Amino acid sequence: MELQKSFLDPRTKLLLVFVEATLVLATAGGERLVVFRLAFTVLPFLLLLTAKCYSACIVGMLVLTVTEMLKYFVFQSSNGTLSFLLLMAITLITRFLPAYLMGVYVIRTTKVSEFKAAMERMHVPDELTIPMCVMFRFFPTVREEGTSIRAAMKMRGIGLGGGKASEMLEYRVVPMISCSAKIGEELSASALTRGLGKNRKRTNICKIGFGVADYIVMVVVMVMIIYWMAGYFGSVG
Amino acid sequence: MNSQGNNSKLNGRDLINVGIYSAIYFVIVMAFAMTGLIPIFLMLLSSMVAFFGGIPFMLFLTKVKKPGMIFIMSVIMGVLVFVTGMTYMPVIVSVITGIIAELVYRSGSYQSMSKAILTAGVFPLWAVGNYLPLFLQREQYFAQRESYGQEYADAVMRLTPNWMMIVLVLATFLCGILGGLLGRFLLKKHFKKAGIV
Repeated sequence: MELQKSFLDPRTKLLLVFVEATLVLATAGGERLVVFRLAFTVLPFLLLLTAKCYSACIVGMLVLTVTEMLKYFVFQSSNGTLSFLLLMAITLITRFLPAYLMGVYVIRTTKVSEFKAAMERMHVPDELTIPMCVMFRFFPTVREEGTSIRAAMKMRGIGLGGGKASEMLEYRVVPMISCSAKIGEELSASALTRGLGKNRKRTNICKIGFGVADYIVMVVVMVMIIYWMAGYFGSVG
Repeated sequence: MNSQGNNSKLNGRDLINVGIYSAIYFVIVMAFAMTGLIPIFLMLLSSMVAFFGGIPFMLFLTKVKKPGMIFIMSVIMGVLVFVTGMTYMPVIVSVITGIIAELVYRSGSYQSMSKAILTAGVFPLWAVGNYLPLFLQREQYFAQRESYGQEYADAVMRLTPNWMMIVLVLATFLCGILGGLLGRFLLKKHFKKAGIV
């Protein structure tokens, strides 16, 4: 996967991920922040465009448009179980999609060493940073292994449909874990040869720093928090 | 290894192991967490996490020889579920349960198999943190999920009187123990043969 350059600092991207998680996904702030929520729903699409991830952006747009249309045309005239199911699907998609796309953007545009550099600047201890770096490097591997094993087992007729669902655990989960663990050991050896095992400060060639775009994002987030706080304490006091 | 210095301090290899097993654990957990939208599954979620997570977790424990590794993994789980939209409460819970799990496994000096199974019971309690907003901020919880519809809210409400929290903790713990036993069985049957342990 070709990494694209991003004009945002990794720290800003982390901030954006947290904002998406609390504002769009968990809908913190309720009705008062609806304008901001809309803005942050659109933002991941724009960012994906700047990172040249056109397919992810277009597919995401299509899914979101269809969902919104369902919401306004079909949902209004449905009732009972159908409406319940529809509502669940709509809620799920409108909430998870922006956060998911933001995740895609961050992963597509951030190198592991950039992430590491950003965490170091924020003085997050290595004990937390290294496992997280390894994890993000490792997710695609686990998924790839899972896909291959699923294909292999399908050929042997072991799957949900094959009447052998009970064997799923042993023949799918166990090989997945063993393969991943083996690869992990190799990964670990390779990382150690690059000096990860030494208890001294490591250098990093990634240049990170805040630019204009970063300050704009931060100001917007600050304004949002102040606006929210004002509403919160205003209504209480 | 002389260059690693102090023996009880975590070195690069340990931290990488934490990362690898956190990734495997989280992938398995997420596969089951997706079913949480159906009200009845929402309640089974932490138990499922405990049971199926037991397999990679037991393998992880065979790599744990120093204090801190279980705690770090627990905190990472808390942060990850925060990012996937479960409020900040799981982070606090994961810190507490991480410390407890760490102490339990430590009391067996990082070797005892029975303590390992007990740890597999304690560790997944971080998943119970996901439910805390449901009990502590009941009104806010449903206000946030208003758009899920009245049926969903009613169904969840019916399933969650306050004593349910205790049931959930106990169920998760028990499923964790069962998952640990299953993990031990699979360790013996498969992973030893494959040369991973």
